[in-house]
Amino acid sequence: MASIAAPTTAAYASGENENTGIWSWITTVDHKRIGTLYLWTALFFFLVGGFEAVLIRTQLMRPNMGFVSAETYNQLFTMHGTTMVFLAIMPLSAAFFNYLIPLQIGARDVAFPRLNAFSYWVYLLGGIFITLPILFKLAPNGGWFGYAPLTTNRFSPGPNIDFWVLGLQILGISSLAAAFNFITTIINMRAPGMSLMRMPMFTWMSFVVQFLVVLAFPPITIALFFLLMDRFFGTTFYAIAAGADPLLWQHLFWVFGHPEVYILILPAFGLVSEVLPTFSKKPLFGYNVMVYSGIMIGFLGFGVWAHHMFAVGMGAVADSIFSLMTMLIGIPTGVKIFNWIATMWSGEIRFTVPMKFAIALIALFTIGGISGVMHSSPPADLQQTDTYFVVAHFHYVLFGGSIRGIFAGISFYYPKMTGRHLDESLGNWHFWLNFIGMNLTFFPMHFSGLLGMSRRIYTYDAGQGWDLFNMMATWGTYLLVVATAIFVWNFVRSRTRGAIAGNDPWGGATLEWSIPSPPPEYNFAQIPEVTSRYPLWDLKAPEKTAGIDHSHADAMTITDAHAVPVHEETERHTAKELGIPMPYPTVKPLVVAFSMVVMFCGLLFLRNGMFAVAMTITIGGGAAMVAGLYSWLTAPLE
Amino acid sequence: MSMLRLRPAAPALLIAVALLTLSACGGTEYPNSTFNHTTDLNTAIDDLWGRLLFWGTIVFVVVEAALVYTIFRFRKRPGGPAAKQIHGNVALEITWTAVPALILVLIAIPTVKTIFETQAPAPAGALVVEVTGNQWWWEFKYPEYGITTANEVYIPVGRTANFVLRTKDVLHSFWIPQMGGKRDLITNKTNNLWFTPNVDLGTNAWNGFCVEYCGASHANMKFRLFTVQPDEFESWAQHQASVAVPHRTPAAPATVTTASNRQPPAPTAPAEPTLGYVFPAADLPDHVIPKTPVPARLTYDDALLANGDPVAGQQSFMMGGCIGCHAINGNPMAMSPIGPNLTHFASRHTLGGGLFPNDDHHLARWIKNAKAMKPGALMNTIGIGEYDPILKGPVTAGLTDAQIADVVAYLRSLK
Amino acid sequence: MSAHTTAAGHDDGHVHHHYTTTGLDNRKIAIWAFIGSECMLFASLIATYLIYKGRSIVGPFPHTEYVNEAGQIFKPILDIPVTSASTFVLLMSSLFMVLALQAVQIKHLPLPDGAGWWTRAQRSSQLWLFMTASFGAIFLMFQAYEFTAFVHEGLTVKTNLFGSTFFTLTGFHGAHVTAGVLWLTSLLWIDRTRGLGPQDELIVDIAALYWHFVDVIWIVIFTLVYLIQ
Repeated sequence: MASIAAPTTAAYASGENENTGIWSWITTVDHKRIGTLYLWTALFFFLVGGFEAVLIRTQLMRPNMGFVSAETYNQLFTMHGTTMVFLAIMPLSAAFFNYLIPLQIGARDVAFPRLNAFSYWVYLLGGIFITLPILFKLAPNGGWFGYAPLTTNRFSPGPNIDFWVLGLQILGISSLAAAFNFITTIINMRAPGMSLMRMPMFTWMSFVVQFLVVLAFPPITIALFFLLMDRFFGTTFYAIAAGADPLLWQHLFWVFGHPEVYILILPAFGLVSEVLPTFSKKPLFGYNVMVYSGIMIGFLGFGVWAHHMFAVGMGAVADSIFSLMTMLIGIPTGVKIFNWIATMWSGEIRFTVPMKFAIALIALFTIGGISGVMHSSPPADLQQTDTYFVVAHFHYVLFGGSIRGIFAGISFYYPKMTGRHLDESLGNWHFWLNFIGMNLTFFPMHFSGLLGMSRRIYTYDAGQGWDLFNMMATWGTYLLVVATAIFVWNFVRSRTRGAIAGNDPWGGATLEWSIPSPPPEYNFAQIPEVTSRYPLWDLKAPEKTAGIDHSHADAMTITDAHAVPVHEETERHTAKELGIPMPYPTVKPLVVAFSMVVMFCGLLFLRNGMFAVAMTITIGGGAAMVAGLYSWLTAPLE
Repeated sequence: MSMLRLRPAAPALLIAVALLTLSACGGTEYPNSTFNHTTDLNTAIDDLWGRLLFWGTIVFVVVEAALVYTIFRFRKRPGGPAAKQIHGNVALEITWTAVPALILVLIAIPTVKTIFETQAPAPAGALVVEVTGNQWWWEFKYPEYGITTANEVYIPVGRTANFVLRTKDVLHSFWIPQMGGKRDLITNKTNNLWFTPNVDLGTNAWNGFCVEYCGASHANMKFRLFTVQPDEFESWAQHQASVAVPHRTPAAPATVTTASNRQPPAPTAPAEPTLGYVFPAADLPDHVIPKTPVPARLTYDDALLANGDPVAGQQSFMMGGCIGCHAINGNPMAMSPIGPNLTHFASRHTLGGGLFPNDDHHLARWIKNAKAMKPGALMNTIGIGEYDPILKGPVTAGLTDAQIADVVAYLRSLK
Repeated sequence: MSAHTTAAGHDDGHVHHHYTTTGLDNRKIAIWAFIGSECMLFASLIATYLIYKGRSIVGPFPHTEYVNEAGQIFKPILDIPVTSASTFVLLMSSLFMVLALQAVQIKHLPLPDGAGWWTRAQRSSQLWLFMTASFGAIFLMFQAYEFTAFVHEGLTVKTNLFGSTFFTLTGFHGAHVTAGVLWLTSLLWIDRTRGLGPQDELIVDIAALYWHFVDVIWIVIFTLVYLIQ
């Protein structure tokens, strides 16, 4: 338990003085450890989703291939979408929310640490629940969008869709619980002086995202609940014979589904907004406008859902309104792009790996944004929707945008999380192969789409003019496999072999760089008092921040918090030595999460008419959950 | 970093590839291209698309050029200038809010105009084609002529075709890329899509697809559209509207007498030449001829087909369960609306939802085991000894290969 | 679910002595975020009910008579007088909730000399918590009666679109009331065992916020489902 003063020794970097047994991970309530768990788990699911994509692309390499069957293909594309959206990109963002938000706002943890652990365990168990069936060829096969009535019992009598409905309900609980937690954390746990307009941009974008989650997940919860009732209890929400309207599902799904797009991209925007200023040695250009445009994007994101439905025949008026709303959203997004470029303008740009990923996000997201404006125009969209043009579009947004932002974030924050750098040259290989592979995979899809190739088809006939584009896309995917393998190797290897990083390896501006890497469990030995947007630059490079407002925090309760001016913390002590009360580790959130998932599992048995078994498991799980909750809520936190 | 110098070239390279590829998009090499001016609908759409592409390209070039220039010019160099600490610039930010807004207005105005034009009610005198989506095939009805057919739709050039879109089961989407945009088929809802093929289009064949994911064989739910001259259309329609009469090939005259025992002697039987217009098989462009491979494990001896007896085939058709799903106008026992209407089956170029060419080779195998030919197909497995996933065992009550040859001969006679 | 469970009496949040930016307790902020989310949940349910209103193919219908093919007559199924009574009960429970919170806030103040029964009653948080929970339970009994009656009259979740949407919407609300009754009962239990004082104002306040929210939602449901034809 020796505290080591010099932050440059290996023992220090590996966090030797912390309890690292497996039980400590199972019972942890430390936001950083939970963030790390999220990161590893989500990266695992990212590889699973990627593997599914490789199988998909291999089947589509040439016309009339028989690499996988139609049924397998349909399960693969459903699970690829579901996995990437719910099990990879969202939780990868969640890894950063967990790890970074408390560090960036100068807090010692999130508002509800045990709830935070609960969110993670629900995510992990839900992810396993929805992923396992593919090993038995029983995976969901109705598409990640699950359009009714295809997903009702009549057309999908097997258990496949049951896994999907229940799995997404479980994952939704995880996201919602996390969102309540982060909203509270950001509103209420900021260090003295950290006004809203001084928050780092990543925290800001995360803040917007939490509101999107809180408001967008209920509609899909309800849509899924209806489907669950239809499938298990014979209600008629999507039953054609009862006169149901299948567009009900589509509206509810896309009221969630479009904000979900911003849930996936805004955290990446936040991450690159941290990376670009750091490596340009300049503050973010137009901070206020960046905040407002993020809020605008989130706000408008709720008014554009029906642009996913231009082909369903909503009528000219509705089509026009949703078209104009969708075009509007292009404006704040464009502002972000230009402000990022202006951030680099007249800077001293260092092309580190995170910087390259951030620049590539701007370049590639722009392409996805432009094709997005193209199908905001309904008549043009009628030629594009449900074709590979749309596949190209959203992969430029999600793979070109979100994933690039996440890779920028991983390579940027890896030194903070582990105390060691990722290998620069492996990182460069990863970046370039990924960049080339990405464009080789997805750019040709613009063409195959505009040349008439529809989506979600397990095969296509020869002589349709699509062969070359598909061949290119498949080889691009193989290149991405190589790139990802390099990344995984680098990620694993650098944990023990990487160069020691120190507190502030990049010259960062925000609070997380003022504390040791990896941060001690209590984060800040003393809560800092923040006087500007760039507290660490104030300290280390005051010339950079001379041009902005500085003021002392409103006097409110600063004395309560024993806040001290921002300083670099180099000493490492235990929480006990410093007298900082830390939450007790506890296994209860896992117990509650597990019993909740058991409760959902019970419903699966209804399909085979095993009513008694189903009720036993469901009620048993429910009872265990309530008991666990009671025990959790009556136990003191710290 | 030598790699760094490649970076600015990458987007330029991409643009070059894009332009090169796009320039090739007009030719026959891309038979499902959406960049056509074959109808009023796709002309309107392509005009709009042209605008979108124009502004999109400008934005792309400006943004990427600004990005590349910035990272090149302001890269950190030894002895280079220090970073200038700029926190923002209101005028600039207003500019790059206003300019995109202006561009969007330039896109929005023609967009809304085109929406209202293309979604107006179809002009009077349009040819109504009722389209019904089924897992996984298309039914086309012409109420004006009393025609019901499947997977192949004929429309005359110069006259507006108004497709009335419905579905019997899940959602589908009706799309002929070369004719214009798509429209979904929504359960408990009727949708419309109309367009007028240009008068000068000529007699031609086009691919149509289902583009809304609809289950196992979504990829195999295709159809063909034939744009024909008005007189050809009339001829086709008149014949398709007539009842089915087995048209014998001259090689088998002996069977005619036996057939007349069971069926009312068809007065039109001798009138072989009155067959209506059918798009000539020889003129079919390559891309509308399906090349779907037949599964290797599905065996059938094609030699049997030469001995197929249409009369026996008709018997088998009635007794073998086919009439449980299929209708043939003129055959009072075959009236079921569940499967595709087979009235003039032999006049079609494809079978199985546009998945295979309609020849004896494929038809025999299709009858024998449709589920093996097309994943999830709802047609029963008929060939004795074939594995039936519903029975979870081999078919025992079905047709032998020789009987299948008879049925093939019968269906082939329904010209 | 998570926010109201964490708010259910004990501290998952950092407790008062911790510095917070707004000066408010974390749980107070979380419950508001939770209620915002719940609004979207009920908005989706209510929107679905309204979209499907009048689109059922077969009866029974809410406000109109239905005669089936066999000539069987189904009267309009909603019983507005009975539900008005249950609505009144739920509204009264909100009033009791206000009194319960007030009691927790003022119970430590010394009683003025010669205080009447009302002044004494005002300081009894147990009484008002009990009344709130009881009236919630009475509301649930009304709902159980209503559901049973409907099933007897031939309306189940499977019957038609109205049945599916009606039972799901009101059932979801009923589940919220049930959770609230359990929550209030546990507060009552704490009050009986250790007594709730001003220091517990927050946990009663959070329960009250939830309870009033559930009541307000019922007013919306009652108006849209029962009153507007």
